[in-house]
Amino acid sequence: MENQINNVVNQFEQDLKEVKDLKQLEEIRIKFFSRNGLFAKLFDDFKKLPKEEKPKYGQLLNSVKKESQQKFDELKKKLSGQAQKYEKFIDLSLPGRKHTIGSKHILIQTIEEISDIFKGLGFSIYVGPELESDANNFEALNFPDDHPARDMQDTFFVNENFLLRTHTSPVQIRLMKEKQPPIRAIMPGKVYRNEAISAKSYCLFHQIEGLYVDTDVTFAELKGTLVYFAKMLFGENVKYRFRSSFFPFTEPSAEVDIWWQPKGKEGRWLEILGCGMVDPNVLENVGIDSEKYTGYAFGMGVERMAMLKYGINDIRVFFDNDFRFLSQF
Amino acid sequence: MKVSLNWLSDYVDIDDLSVDEIVDKLTTSGLEVDEVIDEAKNFENIVVGLVKEVNKHPNADRLSVCTVTDGEQDYQVICGAPNVAPGQKTAFAKVGAYLPAVNITLKKAKIRGVESFGMLCAEDELGISDNHEGIMVLNEDAPVGAPLSDVLNKNDVILDIAITPNRADALSHTGIARDIAALFNKKLKIPEVNLTESETAVDELAKVVVENVQDCPRYVAKVITGVTIKDSPGWLKRKLTAVGLRPINNVVDATNFVLYELGQPLHAFDLDKLSGSTIIVKNAEEGYKFTTLDSKVRELKATDLMICDAEKPVAIAGIMGGENSEVSNDTKNILIESAYFNPSAIRKTAKRLGLSTDASYRFERGCNPEITVFAAERVAALIQETAGGDIAKGNIDVYPNEIKRPVISLRFSRLNKILGFEIEPGKVKSIFETLEFNVVATDTEKVTVEIPLFRHDLEREIDLIEEVARIYGFEKIPPVDKIQVALEKKIDQTSFNGKVRNYLTALGFYEIITNSLLKEETAEYFGKAIPVLNPQSIEMTHARTSLIPGILSTIERNIRVKERNLKIFEIGHTFEMKSGKEIESFDDLKELDKLTFAVTGKRETGVWYSKDTEFDFYDVVGAADELFEKLRIENKLTDEYVLEPDDVFEFRLIKKYKEEKIATGGKVKGGLLKKFDINQAVYLFDVNLDALRSIKTEELKFNELLKFPKVVRDFAFVFDKDILYESVVKEIYKSSSKLLKKIKLFDIFESDSLGRNKKSMAFQLEYYDENRTLTEEEIEKEFWKTIEHIKKKLNGELRG
Repeated sequence: MENQINNVVNQFEQDLKEVKDLKQLEEIRIKFFSRNGLFAKLFDDFKKLPKEEKPKYGQLLNSVKKESQQKFDELKKKLSGQAQKYEKFIDLSLPGRKHTIGSKHILIQTIEEISDIFKGLGFSIYVGPELESDANNFEALNFPDDHPARDMQDTFFVNENFLLRTHTSPVQIRLMKEKQPPIRAIMPGKVYRNEAISAKSYCLFHQIEGLYVDTDVTFAELKGTLVYFAKMLFGENVKYRFRSSFFPFTEPSAEVDIWWQPKGKEGRWLEILGCGMVDPNVLENVGIDSEKYTGYAFGMGVERMAMLKYGINDIRVFFDNDFRFLSQF
Repeated sequence: MKVSLNWLSDYVDIDDLSVDEIVDKLTTSGLEVDEVIDEAKNFENIVVGLVKEVNKHPNADRLSVCTVTDGEQDYQVICGAPNVAPGQKTAFAKVGAYLPAVNITLKKAKIRGVESFGMLCAEDELGISDNHEGIMVLNEDAPVGAPLSDVLNKNDVILDIAITPNRADALSHTGIARDIAALFNKKLKIPEVNLTESETAVDELAKVVVENVQDCPRYVAKVITGVTIKDSPGWLKRKLTAVGLRPINNVVDATNFVLYELGQPLHAFDLDKLSGSTIIVKNAEEGYKFTTLDSKVRELKATDLMICDAEKPVAIAGIMGGENSEVSNDTKNILIESAYFNPSAIRKTAKRLGLSTDASYRFERGCNPEITVFAAERVAALIQETAGGDIAKGNIDVYPNEIKRPVISLRFSRLNKILGFEIEPGKVKSIFETLEFNVVATDTEKVTVEIPLFRHDLEREIDLIEEVARIYGFEKIPPVDKIQVALEKKIDQTSFNGKVRNYLTALGFYEIITNSLLKEETAEYFGKAIPVLNPQSIEMTHARTSLIPGILSTIERNIRVKERNLKIFEIGHTFEMKSGKEIESFDDLKELDKLTFAVTGKRETGVWYSKDTEFDFYDVVGAADELFEKLRIENKLTDEYVLEPDDVFEFRLIKKYKEEKIATGGKVKGGLLKKFDINQAVYLFDVNLDALRSIKTEELKFNELLKFPKVVRDFAFVFDKDILYESVVKEIYKSSSKLLKKIKLFDIFESDSLGRNKKSMAFQLEYYDENRTLTEEEIEKEFWKTIEHIKKKLNGELRG
């Protein structure tokens, strides 16, 4: 009997060593612990033993079975733990399914950013046509015929009386003809200049025009408004200056420079916009009493702002529409 | 305009001012300094060197090993110039000197095995002439070791100033000096002229007749006889070269000097070449061919103002003289013209001839009619000083209608109202005085001033306000720290396009902005294009008639850089002629706000969770549907399907609102893609945003959430292949009651088992009633009625 018991135990331990997974373990359970298993057989044999031998082998049999059962349980616990680990495993580090949000052109984003600043100050937003009349683009804006002021803007002409607008200022004229003061609006859009295409200039660019006409509009208010704008766009600590300039449609006229300090390079003044008090001639041209009303106007180049803000040094890149550029914004 | 600070200091004391102060004040007051050129900077580390010894280079025949001293130390310098000799004083550039003319920074060097500590320079290497014959040999009295800039008088600072078109008065050194005087509270010094005139009266030597007084309000002439034409003296040459002018001879240089000093253009005629010793100012003969000083033949118009002698034109007034009366080396007697021409007349001619000269530039901006006599005398004295000769007594001065100085009042209250800041009346008056305006009257409310005629830009009260503000300083006007906003309706005309952009980017499209100018062939392909009169190149002659070319060139460009898979859109204007050939009013053209979006290449590529799939027509259709759905106009549009190609599409879907075409989408046809060098399929939608925007949408209202269950039924039919999805949907609705709320096509396929030219379509129908639960029987009845209807109407065969 003792041999029999040892054989089964050895066999059990041998088999257990070779078990790799729960399925094999289950085979062992059936082989050893089921109703017809090897341990059950030992007990059957034990029943047939003479009475005097029973106590001796009974004890032995019980203890080895218990021991084996323990070993079996331990292995089962270990294996099912392992099995569970793989069963529930997910590679959370895989890249996600791709969802793509496109993007607005960076110039449009810049226009929106600037528009938001002025919307917050109570400005409306108007637009106008790009193919304009000479009357709206120049005459009404106090550019006399045959005056050198016209040389300031190289113009694409369609004919004697029509052209591609050289600035967004004709939208001022359209607006003032349509509406009596108070008028407070910005006017973004494309403008055209007949300049050779280079890193610094392109045949078209975007401008944002601003206009405010009411009974008590002053240069001090223009200054305050534009200083606020510069701080919003370039930061609270922006260093600025207003410098006297000339535009036929404003007087006094000024240009606004901000101090530009690139890292590790020499700083310099950079022009960001032109502005001034609406020239009385312009108000009279659209039928607004220039004695009663005063106004200010300003205009800025969007490309310039975006180039400054994002460190772009070639204007052509905006119009190349290289996807590697577009997808950066 | 280039301004020399050395020259400027003749007219205003600037010794106590730094260059930065001058630049800063000029710039902020409206005379923007673009560039500061410090001449001495180009001569740093270059000194007068004395050549002590010259020996042959041991390894090079043409080189010499020289010993040069700066008075303190000896240097070994290798020199290749044939003229180098002991005892010479020459330009010695030490190690560290930068020579901008040749863009070299000198370093210690080994030349053919021998060390060299610097360089002996030729004139071209110093940028002072084109001479490269040998090293520059200086005068014997040049002090050894002295900075070369001092010896060559290259210690000037040149300001390049951008003069705005209103400031004709600032186009001269005295003009700039006047502003500096006003800005720094200094005195302007105008040079004095002491003329020594001969006994002969000018009238005896020459005659001036002005026929066109309108365009030539004043003509002053002075005559100098017996001059000797030669090179100008050094001081004069230096002044002219400092401001970028090329010295020619003593007479021409004197006229240029006065031009840059006083801003008055002058012209010197060879009096002996003037037939009848006569000047006649009159208009040209139409079509006359005239040869100007630059040897070019110019065809004239009857509107051009000419200076003529008794027989022929001798100069284009205010623009350029003629070859036929030019001062030459043999000239003995000269007539000086100092005139005032009508700015607009000069500009018209100069523009038409494409001829801009120092003279025309000033005349067209407006010169000073009051300075003509002084300028003529000033130049006569100068010519006499440098060319000898006798100045005839007196001036010829044809000035029939004296131009009056404008008198303008400035109300202090108005000044304060415009600026939003109070400037004291006393300060206002003193600003006017420093600008040389005569204060003719003043009281507590206003000041009245007489404006000198050199200021063409001052006619109105507002002009004076600007003068006060710019001289007072914009920086002293404090910005407000709060503003008032009118409580009225705000309008945003960009908001609709903003929404479109938001939706398209949410759908994964990237926005592009392309050139609105196209070449003729491309622009004409899409519509009746509007040409530009003065295009930059043949690639940009017409305004775009469509956004499609921009989309296609962008695709082509990106394919070239291997970005083949794109979803892009552009929003922008297109331009077309509407009626006849010429645009006379806005009615003759059509400017539209448009949107084009396109897909090309693969939807997704190289991802782990799916295979690569190509974009197709239904990608743009889906995007269009979603866009129009979000804009709440999808249900107002009707669709039209065209399987035949047009100029743009192989096949297309047209979306209409009533009869108006709103959008067209489809597959771009191969022929068009070929023109853009694209060899992959492109699908796009072209949308008229103006039309889209004008469609009225109902106010957005909430739909009650459903309280009763919905019932769903599926069926699949086999149809002939050319049965449209849309017609099936239409027929389903036709055969159903209001209980049918939604139809979904959830499967479509073709297979051999279905038979040739057949397809299977599977639909899901959704029924419900807002007010009650539907019964099985009524749905069954409804559903089978539909099935029977489809069978009959579309010849469909029920599959399941």
